Amino acid sequence: MATKRRDLFLYLTIACFVGLIAIFIADGYIGVYDAIYIPMGERQQKIEADQWLQWFQYGRAEIGWGEKANFRYEVDNRQFSTYSADIELSVWHTNEKLRDLLSQPMSIAAFDKGQLEWVIDTTELLPGGAPEQGYEFTVIIKRGEIEREVIVYMYPRTPVSIYPPTPR
Amino acid sequence: MRLEYILIGFGILLCLAGIGYLAAEYVKYLSEAGKLVSLLLTVGMFAFLGKYFDGLGW
Repeated sequence: MATKRRDLFLYLTIACFVGLIAIFIADGYIGVYDAIYIPMGERQQKIEADQWLQWFQYGRAEIGWGEKANFRYEVDNRQFSTYSADIELSVWHTNEKLRDLLSQPMSIAAFDKGQLEWVIDTTELLPGGAPEQGYEFTVIIKRGEIEREVIVYMYPRTPVSIYPPTPR
Repeated sequence: MRLEYILIGFGILLCLAGIGYLAAEYVKYLSEAGKLVSLLLTVGMFAFLGKYFDGLGW
């Protein structure tokens, strides 16, 4: 009787362990996840899928006027079926659409990744010259019903490099 | 007998390493409900394991 009771605890332990693994696979791994690479001055910053899911409502990028902002959007399909969605990219400022960047269908095979790259030329966006006090615009990425926002801060001019020092 | 204990210990270490890897890699993708159930299952797992070893006389 005592052995049976002891074995029951062992089986319950194994059941909890298997349940834990099942949750990690079903809830943590399976699904469609996206990440975006945004310009942040001279470097590129990655906004991971979990940042969209947990606490990040929008991404923030910085670019100088006169420069080209490179974006990369990655979609990771961790499902057993092909994932298809329409991708729409647009640029907005104060709730007004400035331009459509891209609109195309995306189809990703099971357990594969798809990516999309685009460039925003800041001089085309503000042809009148560099803004005096900076300028913000929003890049909205629509993937099916999911919407991601990246707020891009455009600073007035490209910072002057201080290295190497000017020879005297 | 000693070899058996070494193998069991090795197996337990591998299981813990596997769970540790999954936790580090995928806990960020878990939903709030998934995190809660995982926590409860972890507590239950160690509690039942403790009772099992208690029954063995440890």
